[in-house]
Amino acid sequence: MQIVYFVFVLLLVSFGAVVMSLEILSSNLMSPYFGGSIYIWGSIISSFMVHFSLGYVAGGYLSRRFPKVSVLAAFLLVCSLWVLAIPFLYQSVCEFLSENIADVRLGSLAAMNVIFLVPVSIMAMVSPYIIGISAAWRRTSGLTAGMVLFISTVGSFAGTNITAFYLISLFPVSRIIMGLGMICLTVSLIVLLLRIDRWIGIPDANSRG
Amino acid sequence: MRGYGIIVILLVGLGFFLAPQALAAGGDNILYEGDSIYHHITIRQDGKERCMIFGRRRDLRQTCIDLEMPDAAIFEYSSMMFAGFLFRPEAKAVCLIGLGGGYIPTVFRMHLPQVRLRTVEVDPHVEKLARQYFGFSVPAGQSLTIDDGRQFLKKSQERYDQIWLDAFNSDYIPAHMTTKEFLKLVRSRLNEGGIVVQNLFCDSKFYDAQIATFRSVFAKVFAFEGQRSGSCVIVASDRPASDPAGLRKQAERMGGWIGRIDLYAEAAKCKVPSAARKAPVLTDDYNPANLLLMEKK
Repeated sequence: MQIVYFVFVLLLVSFGAVVMSLEILSSNLMSPYFGGSIYIWGSIISSFMVHFSLGYVAGGYLSRRFPKVSVLAAFLLVCSLWVLAIPFLYQSVCEFLSENIADVRLGSLAAMNVIFLVPVSIMAMVSPYIIGISAAWRRTSGLTAGMVLFISTVGSFAGTNITAFYLISLFPVSRIIMGLGMICLTVSLIVLLLRIDRWIGIPDANSRG
Repeated sequence: MRGYGIIVILLVGLGFFLAPQALAAGGDNILYEGDSIYHHITIRQDGKERCMIFGRRRDLRQTCIDLEMPDAAIFEYSSMMFAGFLFRPEAKAVCLIGLGGGYIPTVFRMHLPQVRLRTVEVDPHVEKLARQYFGFSVPAGQSLTIDDGRQFLKKSQERYDQIWLDAFNSDYIPAHMTTKEFLKLVRSRLNEGGIVVQNLFCDSKFYDAQIATFRSVFAKVFAFEGQRSGSCVIVASDRPASDPAGLRKQAERMGGWIGRIDLYAEAAKCKVPSAARKAPVLTDDYNPANLLLMEKK
Protein backbone atom coordinates (compact mmCIF):
# COMPACT_ATOMS: atom_id res chain seq x y z
CA MET A 1 0.00 0.00 0.00
CA GLN A 2 2.84 2.35 0.88
CA ILE A 3 4.03 2.26 -2.68
CA VAL A 4 0.78 3.74 -3.92
CA TYR A 5 1.13 6.69 -1.60
CA PHE A 6 4.75 7.04 -2.66
CA VAL A 7 3.75 7.20 -6.32
CA PHE A 8 0.94 9.68 -5.66
CA VAL A 9 3.23 11.99 -3.69
CA LEU A 10 5.98 11.66 -6.30
CA LEU A 11 3.58 12.63 -9.10
CA LEU A 12 2.02 15.49 -7.17
CA VAL A 13 5.28 17.03 -6.00
CA SER A 14 7.26 16.64 -9.21
CA PHE A 15 4.61 17.86 -11.62
CA GLY A 16 3.48 20.56 -9.19
CA ALA A 17 7.07 21.81 -9.14
CA VAL A 18 7.72 21.50 -12.87
CA VAL A 19 4.58 23.37 -13.87
CA MET A 20 5.47 26.43 -11.81
CA SER A 21 9.10 26.28 -12.84
CA LEU A 22 7.92 26.46 -16.45
CA GLU A 23 5.69 29.41 -15.63
CA ILE A 24 8.65 31.35 -14.21
CA LEU A 25 10.89 30.41 -17.14
CA SER A 26 8.29 31.33 -19.74
CA SER A 27 8.90 35.03 -19.06
CA ASN A 28 12.51 34.52 -20.15
CA LEU A 29 11.30 32.82 -23.31
CA MET A 30 8.80 35.59 -24.11
CA SER A 31 10.63 38.82 -23.24
CA PRO A 32 13.20 38.83 -26.07
CA TYR A 33 10.37 38.64 -28.58
CA PHE A 34 7.52 40.51 -26.92
CA GLY A 35 9.24 42.85 -24.46
CA GLY A 36 9.44 42.84 -20.70
CA SER A 37 6.20 44.64 -20.07
CA ILE A 38 3.42 43.80 -17.66
CA TYR A 39 1.51 42.43 -20.68
CA ILE A 40 3.86 39.47 -20.82
CA TRP A 41 2.91 38.47 -17.29
CA GLY A 42 -0.75 38.95 -18.14
CA SER A 43 -0.36 36.52 -21.03
CA ILE A 44 1.65 34.02 -19.01
CA ILE A 45 -0.66 33.88 -16.03
CA SER A 46 -3.91 33.90 -17.99
CA SER A 47 -2.68 31.20 -20.39
CA PHE A 48 -1.60 28.97 -17.53
CA MET A 49 -4.99 29.47 -15.85
CA VAL A 50 -6.76 28.38 -19.02
CA HIS A 51 -4.47 25.34 -19.35
CA PHE A 52 -5.04 24.47 -15.70
CA SER A 53 -8.80 24.59 -16.05
CA LEU A 54 -8.72 22.43 -19.18
CA GLY A 55 -6.51 19.95 -17.34
CA TYR A 56 -8.80 19.88 -14.30
CA VAL A 57 -11.85 19.08 -16.39
CA ALA A 58 -10.02 16.49 -18.49
CA GLY A 59 -8.36 14.90 -15.43
CA GLY A 60 -11.65 14.64 -13.58
CA TYR A 61 -13.44 13.15 -16.55
CA LEU A 62 -10.70 10.68 -17.47
CA SER A 63 -10.21 9.50 -13.89
CA ARG A 64 -13.84 8.43 -13.89
CA ARG A 65 -13.65 6.80 -17.33
CA PHE A 66 -10.26 5.14 -16.77
CA PRO A 67 -9.42 5.09 -13.06
CA LYS A 68 -5.90 3.78 -13.73
CA VAL A 69 -2.59 5.37 -12.82
CA SER A 70 -1.06 3.91 -15.98
CA VAL A 71 -3.41 5.96 -18.17
CA LEU A 72 -2.37 9.13 -16.37
CA ALA A 73 1.29 8.13 -16.69
CA ALA A 74 0.88 7.60 -20.43
CA PHE A 75 -0.43 11.15 -20.79
CA LEU A 76 2.48 12.40 -18.68
CA LEU A 77 4.90 10.63 -21.01
CA VAL A 78 3.54 12.65 -23.93
CA CYS A 79 3.78 15.77 -21.80
CA SER A 80 7.44 15.02 -20.97
CA LEU A 81 8.36 14.66 -24.62
CA TRP A 82 6.67 17.97 -25.37
CA VAL A 83 8.63 19.70 -22.57
CA LEU A 84 11.86 18.24 -23.97
CA ALA A 85 10.95 19.73 -27.35
CA ILE A 86 10.31 23.27 -26.04
CA PRO A 87 13.95 24.44 -26.24
CA PHE A 88 13.99 23.52 -29.93
CA LEU A 89 10.52 24.88 -30.62
CA TYR A 90 10.14 28.20 -28.91
CA GLN A 91 12.50 30.36 -30.94
CA SER A 92 10.84 29.74 -34.27
CA VAL A 93 7.35 29.95 -32.74
CA CYS A 94 8.07 33.28 -31.03
CA GLU A 95 9.93 34.64 -34.05
CA PHE A 96 7.05 33.74 -36.37
CA LEU A 97 4.31 35.07 -34.10
CA SER A 98 6.09 38.31 -33.16
CA GLU A 99 6.62 39.07 -36.83
CA ASN A 100 3.06 38.32 -37.83
CA ILE A 101 1.11 39.75 -34.90
CA ALA A 102 1.82 43.43 -34.30
CA ASP A 103 0.13 43.64 -30.89
CA VAL A 104 2.48 42.17 -28.26
CA ARG A 105 -0.44 41.25 -26.00
CA LEU A 106 -2.03 39.09 -28.65
CA GLY A 107 1.33 37.81 -29.88
CA SER A 108 2.56 36.67 -26.48
CA LEU A 109 -0.83 35.13 -25.69
CA ALA A 110 -0.67 33.14 -28.92
CA ALA A 111 2.91 32.06 -28.28
CA MET A 112 2.14 30.95 -24.73
CA ASN A 113 -0.73 28.82 -25.99
CA VAL A 114 1.15 27.21 -28.84
CA ILE A 115 4.07 26.29 -26.60
CA PHE A 116 2.38 25.41 -23.32
CA LEU A 117 -1.24 24.37 -23.94
CA VAL A 118 -0.51 20.65 -24.32
CA PRO A 119 2.08 20.04 -21.58
CA VAL A 120 0.57 22.31 -18.93
CA SER A 121 -2.96 20.97 -19.45
CA ILE A 122 -1.66 17.44 -19.02
CA MET A 123 0.28 18.40 -15.88
CA ALA A 124 -2.86 19.98 -14.44
CA MET A 125 -4.62 16.62 -14.81
CA VAL A 126 -2.46 15.06 -12.07
CA SER A 127 -4.31 16.36 -8.99
CA PRO A 128 -7.91 15.73 -10.14
CA TYR A 129 -6.85 12.36 -11.55
CA ILE A 130 -5.40 11.26 -8.23
CA ILE A 131 -8.42 12.62 -6.36
CA GLY A 132 -10.65 10.66 -8.75
CA ILE A 133 -8.71 7.41 -8.28
CA SER A 134 -8.63 7.85 -4.51
CA ALA A 135 -12.35 8.45 -4.42
CA ALA A 136 -13.04 5.32 -6.45
CA TRP A 137 -10.58 3.31 -4.39
CA ARG A 138 -12.32 3.58 -1.07
CA ARG A 139 -9.49 2.29 1.04
CA THR A 140 -7.43 5.44 0.74
CA SER A 141 -9.61 7.51 2.96
CA GLY A 142 -6.38 9.00 4.29
CA LEU A 143 -5.75 10.96 1.12
CA THR A 144 -8.40 13.64 1.03
CA ALA A 145 -8.88 16.00 -1.89
CA GLY A 146 -7.50 18.77 0.29
CA MET A 147 -4.38 16.74 1.07
CA VAL A 148 -3.79 16.06 -2.64
CA LEU A 149 -3.98 19.77 -3.43
CA PHE A 150 -1.75 20.56 -0.46
CA ILE A 151 1.02 18.19 -1.59
CA SER A 152 0.93 19.43 -5.16
CA THR A 153 1.00 23.05 -3.97
CA VAL A 154 4.06 22.38 -1.80
CA GLY A 155 5.71 21.07 -4.97
CA SER A 156 4.68 24.24 -6.80
CA PHE A 157 6.11 26.40 -4.05
CA ALA A 158 9.46 24.63 -4.32
CA GLY A 159 9.45 24.76 -8.11
CA THR A 160 8.74 28.49 -8.20
CA ASN A 161 11.38 29.55 -5.71
CA ILE A 162 14.16 27.18 -6.70
CA THR A 163 13.81 28.30 -10.31
CA ALA A 164 13.53 32.03 -9.67
CA PHE A 165 16.14 32.24 -6.91
CA TYR A 166 18.75 29.73 -8.02
CA LEU A 167 18.36 27.89 -11.31
CA ILE A 168 18.16 31.03 -13.48
CA SER A 169 21.50 32.25 -12.15
CA LEU A 170 23.16 28.88 -12.60
CA PHE A 171 22.03 27.56 -15.98
CA PRO A 172 20.79 28.69 -19.38
CA VAL A 173 17.00 28.62 -19.59
CA SER A 174 17.02 26.03 -22.38
CA ARG A 175 19.09 23.67 -20.24
CA ILE A 176 16.78 24.13 -17.24
CA ILE A 177 13.81 23.21 -19.42
CA MET A 178 15.64 20.14 -20.70
CA GLY A 179 16.26 19.19 -17.07
CA LEU A 180 12.57 19.63 -16.24
CA GLY A 181 11.68 17.46 -19.23
CA MET A 182 14.07 14.77 -18.02
CA ILE A 183 12.47 14.86 -14.55
CA CYS A 184 9.01 14.50 -16.10
CA LEU A 185 10.17 11.65 -18.32
CA THR A 186 11.88 9.80 -15.48
CA VAL A 187 8.90 10.13 -13.15
CA SER A 188 6.39 8.99 -15.77
CA LEU A 189 8.56 6.00 -16.74
CA ILE A 190 9.04 4.97 -13.10
CA VAL A 191 5.30 5.17 -12.50
CA LEU A 192 4.56 3.18 -15.66
CA LEU A 193 7.14 0.50 -14.84
CA LEU A 194 5.92 0.09 -11.26
CA ARG A 195 2.54 -0.97 -12.68
CA ILE A 196 0.96 0.61 -9.68
CA ASP A 197 -2.58 -0.32 -10.66
CA ARG A 198 -1.94 -3.85 -9.31
CA TRP A 199 -2.06 -2.37 -5.82
CA ILE A 200 -5.18 -0.39 -6.30
CA GLY A 201 -8.31 -2.51 -6.18
CA ILE A 202 -11.13 -0.47 -7.51
CA PRO A 203 -14.47 -2.11 -6.98
CA ASP A 204 -16.31 -2.31 -10.28
CA ALA A 205 -19.41 -0.31 -10.85
CA ASN A 206 -21.82 -3.15 -10.01
CA SER A 207 -20.56 -3.78 -6.50
CA ARG A 208 -20.54 -0.08 -5.65
CA GLY A 209 -23.12 1.43 -3.30
CA MET B 1 -31.35 50.21 9.35
CA ARG B 2 -28.00 49.26 10.83
CA GLY B 3 -27.32 47.17 7.75
CA TYR B 4 -27.70 50.23 5.52
CA GLY B 5 -25.33 52.18 7.74
CA ILE B 6 -22.63 49.56 7.33
CA ILE B 7 -23.13 49.48 3.58
CA VAL B 8 -22.84 53.27 3.40
CA ILE B 9 -19.62 53.17 5.44
CA LEU B 10 -18.23 50.45 3.20
CA LEU B 11 -19.12 52.40 0.06
CA VAL B 12 -17.53 55.57 1.38
CA GLY B 13 -14.43 53.57 2.33
CA LEU B 14 -14.33 52.06 -1.15
CA GLY B 15 -14.67 55.56 -2.60
CA PHE B 16 -11.53 56.63 -0.75
CA PHE B 17 -9.72 53.60 -2.05
CA LEU B 18 -10.61 54.28 -5.64
CA ALA B 19 -10.14 58.03 -5.42
CA PRO B 20 -7.54 59.42 -7.84
CA GLN B 21 -4.12 58.00 -7.15
CA ALA B 22 -2.56 61.37 -6.48
CA LEU B 23 -3.24 61.45 -2.77
CA ALA B 24 -0.83 64.35 -2.42
CA ALA B 25 0.70 63.48 0.89
CA GLY B 26 -0.01 66.59 2.86
CA GLY B 27 2.46 69.28 3.80
CA ASP B 28 5.45 67.14 2.85
CA ASN B 29 7.15 68.22 -0.34
CA ILE B 30 5.54 65.41 -2.29
CA LEU B 31 3.75 66.70 -5.36
CA TYR B 32 2.49 63.39 -6.64
CA GLU B 33 2.40 59.78 -5.60
CA GLY B 34 0.77 57.04 -7.60
CA ASP B 35 1.12 53.90 -9.63
CA SER B 36 1.51 53.28 -13.31
CA ILE B 37 1.34 49.80 -14.77
CA TYR B 38 5.10 49.50 -14.29
CA HIS B 39 6.15 51.54 -11.31
CA HIS B 40 5.25 53.20 -8.10
CA ILE B 41 6.12 56.80 -8.86
CA THR B 42 6.68 59.65 -6.45
CA ILE B 43 7.43 63.22 -7.43
CA ARG B 44 8.92 65.41 -4.75
CA GLN B 45 10.54 68.76 -4.52
CA ASP B 46 13.43 69.93 -2.35
CA GLY B 47 14.13 73.59 -2.84
CA LYS B 48 14.40 74.07 -6.57
CA GLU B 49 15.16 70.39 -7.25
CA ARG B 50 12.27 68.31 -8.45
CA CYS B 51 12.67 64.52 -8.66
CA MET B 52 10.76 61.61 -10.15
CA ILE B 53 11.37 58.59 -7.94
CA PHE B 54 10.62 55.03 -8.97
CA GLY B 55 9.92 52.26 -6.50
CA ARG B 56 9.38 52.38 -2.80
CA ARG B 57 12.97 52.85 -1.73
CA ARG B 58 13.04 56.53 -2.23
CA ASP B 59 16.76 57.05 -2.26
CA LEU B 60 17.62 54.82 -5.16
CA ARG B 61 16.15 55.35 -8.55
CA GLN B 62 15.46 58.86 -9.49
CA THR B 63 15.65 61.44 -12.13
CA CYS B 64 15.80 65.07 -11.11
CA ILE B 65 15.78 68.54 -12.62
CA ASP B 66 16.75 71.91 -11.31
CA LEU B 67 13.66 74.04 -11.92
CA GLU B 68 15.67 77.21 -12.54
CA MET B 69 18.38 75.55 -14.61
CA PRO B 70 16.74 72.55 -16.29
CA ASP B 71 19.92 71.83 -18.25
CA ALA B 72 22.11 71.43 -15.14
CA ALA B 73 22.83 67.78 -14.37
CA ILE B 74 21.92 66.92 -10.79
CA PHE B 75 23.12 63.36 -11.22
CA GLU B 76 26.53 62.58 -12.55
CA TYR B 77 25.41 59.82 -14.91
CA SER B 78 23.19 62.05 -16.98
CA SER B 79 26.07 64.37 -17.83
CA MET B 80 28.41 61.40 -18.35
CA MET B 81 26.19 60.09 -21.13
CA PHE B 82 26.88 63.24 -23.15
CA ALA B 83 30.47 62.02 -23.44
CA GLY B 84 29.00 60.09 -26.36
CA PHE B 85 29.49 63.30 -28.35
CA LEU B 86 33.24 63.08 -27.75
CA PHE B 87 33.19 59.94 -29.89
CA ARG B 88 30.62 61.10 -32.44
CA PRO B 89 30.61 64.91 -32.37
CA GLU B 90 28.97 65.12 -35.77
CA ALA B 91 26.04 62.88 -34.76
CA LYS B 92 22.83 63.83 -36.54
CA ALA B 93 20.48 61.18 -35.17
CA VAL B 94 20.36 59.86 -31.61
CA CYS B 95 17.98 57.31 -30.08
CA LEU B 96 17.41 57.49 -26.32
CA ILE B 97 15.77 54.54 -24.58
CA GLY B 98 14.26 55.62 -21.27
CA LEU B 99 12.69 59.04 -20.69
CA GLY B 100 12.36 59.50 -16.92
CA GLY B 101 11.86 63.15 -16.06
CA GLY B 102 13.15 64.16 -19.47
CA TYR B 103 16.45 65.76 -18.44
CA ILE B 104 18.37 64.40 -21.43
CA PRO B 105 15.80 65.48 -24.07
CA THR B 106 15.73 68.92 -22.40
CA VAL B 107 19.50 69.30 -22.84
CA PHE B 108 19.14 68.25 -26.47
CA ARG B 109 16.34 70.76 -26.96
CA MET B 110 18.33 73.62 -25.44
CA HIS B 111 21.85 72.90 -26.67
CA LEU B 112 21.78 70.35 -29.48
CA PRO B 113 18.82 71.47 -31.58
CA GLN B 114 20.51 70.25 -34.78
CA VAL B 115 20.38 66.63 -33.57
CA ARG B 116 17.31 64.54 -34.33
CA LEU B 117 16.51 62.85 -31.02
CA ARG B 118 14.14 59.91 -30.86
CA THR B 119 13.12 59.02 -27.31
CA VAL B 120 11.54 55.64 -26.51
CA GLU B 121 9.77 55.16 -23.18
CA VAL B 122 7.81 52.08 -22.17
CA ASP B 123 5.54 53.70 -19.60
CA PRO B 124 2.88 56.12 -20.92
CA HIS B 125 2.33 57.45 -17.42
CA VAL B 126 5.97 58.57 -17.17
CA GLU B 127 5.47 60.68 -20.29
CA LYS B 128 2.37 62.29 -18.80
CA LEU B 129 4.16 63.12 -15.55
CA ALA B 130 7.26 64.41 -17.36
CA ARG B 131 5.07 66.83 -19.32
CA GLN B 132 3.04 67.86 -16.29
CA TYR B 133 5.77 68.28 -13.67
CA PHE B 134 9.10 68.53 -15.50
CA GLY B 135 8.38 70.88 -18.35
CA PHE B 136 9.10 68.12 -20.83
CA SER B 137 7.96 68.75 -24.37
CA VAL B 138 8.72 67.31 -27.77
CA PRO B 139 10.07 70.11 -29.97
CA ALA B 140 10.31 69.98 -33.76
CA GLY B 141 13.17 67.68 -34.64
CA GLN B 142 12.59 65.39 -31.65
CA SER B 143 10.11 62.57 -31.36
CA LEU B 144 8.79 60.31 -28.63
CA THR B 145 7.54 56.74 -28.98
CA ILE B 146 5.80 54.78 -26.24
CA ASP B 147 7.11 51.23 -26.63
CA ASP B 148 9.44 48.64 -25.17
CA GLY B 149 12.98 49.62 -26.24
CA ARG B 150 13.87 46.27 -27.76
CA GLN B 151 10.53 45.97 -29.53
CA PHE B 152 10.95 49.44 -30.95
CA LEU B 153 14.43 48.82 -32.34
CA LYS B 154 13.32 45.53 -33.82
CA LYS B 155 10.29 46.95 -35.62
CA SER B 156 11.76 50.26 -36.74
CA GLN B 157 14.39 50.14 -39.44
CA GLU B 158 15.74 53.60 -38.62
CA ARG B 159 19.47 54.00 -38.01
CA TYR B 160 21.25 56.30 -35.59
CA ASP B 161 24.72 57.69 -34.95
CA GLN B 162 24.34 57.10 -31.23
CA ILE B 163 21.96 54.89 -29.27
CA TRP B 164 21.70 55.73 -25.55
CA LEU B 165 20.37 53.13 -23.13
CA ASP B 166 19.02 54.70 -19.97
CA ALA B 167 16.41 52.16 -18.97
CA PHE B 168 18.38 50.66 -16.10
CA ASN B 169 18.04 51.35 -12.43
CA SER B 170 19.95 50.30 -9.37
CA ASP B 171 17.42 47.71 -8.27
CA TYR B 172 15.80 46.47 -11.47
CA ILE B 173 16.84 46.18 -15.06
CA PRO B 174 14.82 44.95 -18.02
CA ALA B 175 16.85 41.79 -18.56
CA HIS B 176 15.95 41.44 -22.23
CA MET B 177 17.86 44.67 -22.88
CA THR B 178 21.16 43.37 -21.50
CA THR B 179 21.87 40.42 -23.76
CA LYS B 180 24.22 39.71 -26.62
CA GLU B 181 21.26 39.29 -28.97
CA PHE B 182 19.92 42.68 -27.94
CA LEU B 183 23.30 44.37 -28.44
CA LYS B 184 23.54 42.81 -31.89
CA LEU B 185 20.15 44.32 -32.69
CA VAL B 186 21.41 47.69 -31.39
CA ARG B 187 24.54 47.42 -33.54
CA SER B 188 22.39 46.72 -36.60
CA ARG B 189 20.56 50.01 -35.98
CA LEU B 190 23.76 52.09 -35.92
CA ASN B 191 25.15 54.03 -38.83
CA GLU B 192 28.70 53.32 -39.93
CA GLY B 193 30.96 54.07 -36.95
CA GLY B 194 28.01 54.66 -34.61
CA ILE B 195 28.24 54.14 -30.86
CA VAL B 196 26.16 52.77 -28.00
CA VAL B 197 26.10 54.57 -24.66
CA GLN B 198 24.74 52.75 -21.62
CA ASN B 199 24.28 53.98 -18.10
CA LEU B 200 24.55 51.54 -15.17
CA PHE B 201 25.96 51.20 -11.67
CA CYS B 202 29.58 50.05 -11.37
CA ASP B 203 29.50 48.21 -8.06
CA SER B 204 27.68 44.98 -8.89
CA LYS B 205 28.67 41.80 -10.67
CA PHE B 206 26.16 42.80 -13.31
CA TYR B 207 28.58 45.53 -14.39
CA ASP B 208 31.33 43.00 -15.15
CA ALA B 209 28.87 40.78 -17.00
CA GLN B 210 27.65 43.72 -19.04
CA ILE B 211 31.21 44.70 -19.99
CA ALA B 212 31.87 41.10 -21.05
CA THR B 213 28.66 41.08 -23.08
CA PHE B 214 29.50 44.37 -24.82
CA ARG B 215 32.96 43.00 -25.63
CA SER B 216 31.38 39.96 -27.26
CA VAL B 217 29.59 42.24 -29.75
CA PHE B 218 31.67 45.44 -30.17
CA ALA B 219 35.31 45.85 -31.11
CA LYS B 220 35.92 48.77 -28.75
CA VAL B 221 34.45 49.11 -25.27
CA PHE B 222 35.18 52.04 -22.93
CA ALA B 223 33.90 52.82 -19.47
CA PHE B 224 33.43 56.20 -17.85
CA GLU B 225 33.64 55.86 -14.10
CA GLY B 226 31.76 58.34 -11.97
CA GLN B 227 33.82 60.36 -9.49
CA ARG B 228 30.95 61.71 -7.39
CA SER B 229 28.68 58.67 -7.66
CA GLY B 230 28.60 54.93 -8.21
CA SER B 231 27.50 55.43 -11.79
CA CYS B 232 29.33 54.15 -14.81
CA VAL B 233 28.70 54.72 -18.48
CA ILE B 234 29.75 52.22 -21.12
CA VAL B 235 30.56 53.48 -24.60
CA ALA B 236 30.99 50.86 -27.32
CA SER B 237 31.74 51.05 -31.00
CA ASP B 238 33.03 49.04 -33.91
CA ARG B 239 35.37 51.71 -35.12
CA PRO B 240 38.86 50.79 -33.97
CA ALA B 241 40.02 54.44 -34.22
CA SER B 242 38.06 55.41 -31.11
CA ASP B 243 40.66 56.26 -28.53
CA PRO B 244 40.36 57.64 -24.99
CA ALA B 245 43.48 59.79 -25.39
CA GLY B 246 41.85 61.72 -28.23
CA LEU B 247 38.82 62.62 -26.14
CA ARG B 248 40.39 65.68 -24.53
CA LYS B 249 41.27 67.09 -27.91
CA GLN B 250 37.77 66.44 -29.07
CA ALA B 251 36.40 68.24 -26.02
CA GLU B 252 38.61 71.18 -26.90
CA ARG B 253 37.36 71.19 -30.48
CA MET B 254 33.79 71.27 -29.20
CA GLY B 255 34.50 74.28 -27.03
CA GLY B 256 34.60 72.24 -23.84
CA TRP B 257 30.91 72.45 -23.03
CA ILE B 258 27.50 71.18 -24.03
CA GLY B 259 25.28 73.62 -22.18
CA ARG B 260 26.36 73.27 -18.56
CA ILE B 261 28.09 69.92 -19.08
CA ASP B 262 31.87 70.13 -18.76
CA LEU B 263 33.28 67.89 -21.48
CA TYR B 264 36.86 68.06 -20.16
CA ALA B 265 35.69 66.65 -16.83
CA GLU B 266 33.77 63.90 -18.58
CA ALA B 267 36.69 63.04 -20.89
CA ALA B 268 38.91 62.52 -17.84
CA LYS B 269 36.66 59.73 -16.55
CA CYS B 270 37.23 57.47 -19.53
CA LYS B 271 38.99 54.15 -19.04
CA VAL B 272 39.47 50.90 -20.83
CA PRO B 273 37.78 48.55 -18.40
CA SER B 274 39.82 45.64 -17.13
CA ALA B 275 38.44 42.22 -17.92
CA ALA B 276 36.86 40.69 -14.85
CA ARG B 277 37.54 37.02 -14.40
CA LYS B 278 34.58 34.69 -14.65
CA ALA B 279 32.19 37.43 -15.76
CA PRO B 280 29.53 35.69 -17.87
CA VAL B 281 28.33 36.90 -21.27
CA LEU B 282 24.58 37.45 -20.94
CA THR B 283 22.40 35.90 -23.64
CA ASP B 284 18.66 35.52 -24.15
CA ASP B 285 19.13 31.95 -22.95
CA TYR B 286 21.38 32.58 -19.96
CA ASN B 287 20.43 35.77 -18.25
CA PRO B 288 20.68 36.17 -14.48
CA ALA B 289 20.99 39.97 -14.88
CA ASN B 290 18.74 40.90 -12.00
CA LEU B 291 20.38 38.38 -9.68
CA LEU B 292 23.87 39.63 -10.58
CA LEU B 293 22.68 43.15 -9.88
CA MET B 294 22.16 42.22 -6.25
CA GLU B 295 25.64 40.74 -5.85
CA LYS B 296 28.20 43.36 -4.99
CA LYS B 297 31.73 42.98 -6.31
